[in-house]
Amino acid sequence: MPDLRVLIVDDEPDIRATVSAMLEIEGYAVAEAANGADALAAVEIDPPDVILLDMRMPVLDGWAFAAEMRRRNHAIPIVVMTAARDAARWAGEVAAAAYVAKPFGYDDLIAAVEQASPA
Amino acid sequence: MTALELISLINQLLFIGLFGVVLWQALRRRTRASWNTAMLLGAVAAAVALSRVAVWFDIAGEPFVTSLTLVLLSAVPFAMLRLVGDFSGSPRWVQAAGAFAFLALALTFIALRELTTPLMIATIAFFLAVGGYAAIAFAMESRRAHGITRRRMTAVALGAALFIAAIVDLFIGVLVEPLGPILSLIAQLLALAAVLSFFLGFAPPAWIRRAWREPDLRRFLERSVHLAGVADEHAALTELERAAAAAFGASGASIGLADEGRRIIRYALPAGGWDEFADDAYIGGRAFSEQRRLVVHNAPEADPDHAVAYEEAGAHTVIAAPITTDDRRTGVLTVYAERAPIFVEDDLWLLELLAAQTGLLLDARTLTAHASELRAREEATRLKEEFLSAAAHDLRTPLTVVLGQAELMERRAIRNPGRPVDEAGLARIVREARRLRDLIAALLDAQRLEDGRAVLDRSPADVCQVVQAVRERNGANGVEIGVRCPVEPLVSAVDRPRIEQVLDNLVENAIKYGPAGGPQIELTRADGYARIAVIDHGVGIPEAERERIFERFYRASNAQDVTDTGLGLGLYICRRIVDEHDGLIRHDETPGGGSTFVIDLPLDPRAATAETAEPMAEREPPHRITGQAVADA
Repeated sequence: MPDLRVLIVDDEPDIRATVSAMLEIEGYAVAEAANGADALAAVEIDPPDVILLDMRMPVLDGWAFAAEMRRRNHAIPIVVMTAARDAARWAGEVAAAAYVAKPFGYDDLIAAVEQASPA
Repeated sequence: MTALELISLINQLLFIGLFGVVLWQALRRRTRASWNTAMLLGAVAAAVALSRVAVWFDIAGEPFVTSLTLVLLSAVPFAMLRLVGDFSGSPRWVQAAGAFAFLALALTFIALRELTTPLMIATIAFFLAVGGYAAIAFAMESRRAHGITRRRMTAVALGAALFIAAIVDLFIGVLVEPLGPILSLIAQLLALAAVLSFFLGFAPPAWIRRAWREPDLRRFLERSVHLAGVADEHAALTELERAAAAAFGASGASIGLADEGRRIIRYALPAGGWDEFADDAYIGGRAFSEQRRLVVHNAPEADPDHAVAYEEAGAHTVIAAPITTDDRRTGVLTVYAERAPIFVEDDLWLLELLAAQTGLLLDARTLTAHASELRAREEATRLKEEFLSAAAHDLRTPLTVVLGQAELMERRAIRNPGRPVDEAGLARIVREARRLRDLIAALLDAQRLEDGRAVLDRSPADVCQVVQAVRERNGANGVEIGVRCPVEPLVSAVDRPRIEQVLDNLVENAIKYGPAGGPQIELTRADGYARIAVIDHGVGIPEAERERIFERFYRASNAQDVTDTGLGLGLYICRRIVDEHDGLIRHDETPGGGSTFVIDLPLDPRAATAETAEPMAEREPPHRITGQAVADA
């Protein structure tokens, strides 16, 4: 799925690095943000095609980020990426296109991103 | 027939009627007290009947009629003395003197056949003396007793007083002739009132008994409902025992709780604590093991093994009934009194009623206890689930990195076998795997502390030495900590590795959330405690959150801004360890910004003497300052 751009939002640098490496192998262009606030700024400058979103983050968490995105009329599909047991529920709460629960493997991640990617 | 005569006739019929009732009761329930009561009322009734018969046969005033009347009336003080013995106890010589005086008077009246003035004065004096003695004895008994017994004793004390009044009235009638007829009528009415009082007190009819017992019975029932919710079993039982004793007007009651497995019955001691006996010991035990109600009139005699205990408790007459609920043998209710006549006819029925009510109460208490135990267990389960879910959450993040990086490496190795190893990826795996290891250690620690089995060996140690050990270890890792100790040693009984763990944790926090450089640790003595203050100048903790930071999985909001890798267990573990040392930990704001964690550990009271015996040579007065200079606060 070449040329699609994915924004990874997670406060854990090691998670961002791991996810980036996986997506790059699959040919995605990747950008990173450490929290919701940084992610909003990144979206304004260069809107991605898919957003991979951790929910619990400092400064601005996943819920606040998603609400702000709606307020700004951005319709970029979101993939929720969380360690919580109720990942599915949280994904519903932010109207995510897909979700992937930590700990996930390579194939889980790619499948979720593909599911969310615009056709 | 004049009005006076009519009143007199009615009066006399009442005397005879009351005697009839009492005699009927005595025949049905043949106890010493009921015979004595019958004798008392019978003597009066007979004298009254005799005077009526004498009028019919026109022999009134005949010497033998007068003598017989006097002999009959002399039986009144005699019976009264015997009743004092029955109800409140009196010395043996009083009883003997009463009997002797009765015989002497009777013989004198028969022999003399004429009432001389000295004899009359002597007779009246004797009547007054006995009446007064009885009135005082019953009044005192009434003050000592409670419930229905108090009311009964009040009635008979009143009866004795009315009896005295009747005698005095008669005496005045003899002295002041013109007032004779009217005083004689008053004497008759007073005598009737006295006899009525005796009747109510000594042999109360059922409806009077019920009315007199009602307030105490009501109180018992009210208490028993209330006591179902009282957590303290000992307090609930002793209070119920008091209420049961009051309902009977008895001197005491005891509720024995059976432990069928151990075959014992235990009783709450009034002074606190419990006493246990074999489940067939005492009269209560017998009632329990035989599962039937018992009435024992002379307990020390019936159960000689425990005679002393009965005497001490004033338990001469004992009634006991097993407490059973749903066919389960729960225990036994025992009520005791110093004297048998305290108990009345339907007391056994009442005893069974109260035993049943007590059984219901005990059942209700058991259910309440079960319910709260269940709630506590549910709460414990909920906390454990919460803990597991939070723990799982925190383990997932590092695991994602380890798994993901390993898969990446695997793919690369397959596609490009010759390619050099991805060092950054390896470093991530190692870092996150270590993090997993630390998380697991912290989780296990927290769980152990939750179960209260982490602090094990506490032995006296100078807290300053513990702090110095922490300073040295951190110094070896390049972290400089300033330490300030007082000259005197501060000895506390500590699990040293655990206290060092607490300090390491606080130091680590200070480094993580503080400016470059380690924190300052200051030790002081504070009112029976060794106070350790770990001071940093870092981000501090918002005031609203200071109470919560010691909770499990709680992380201060500004801590999350710095790093999201914390589990929220560090300070919780610290608090639990300090708690288990009977100490206190709190957070203060460092003047000028930052956190000061204050730990108070109780000083070992034995240490003062131990230390003077073994002075520590290496102490450097006045302040031992090592490491980093004391921070300017």
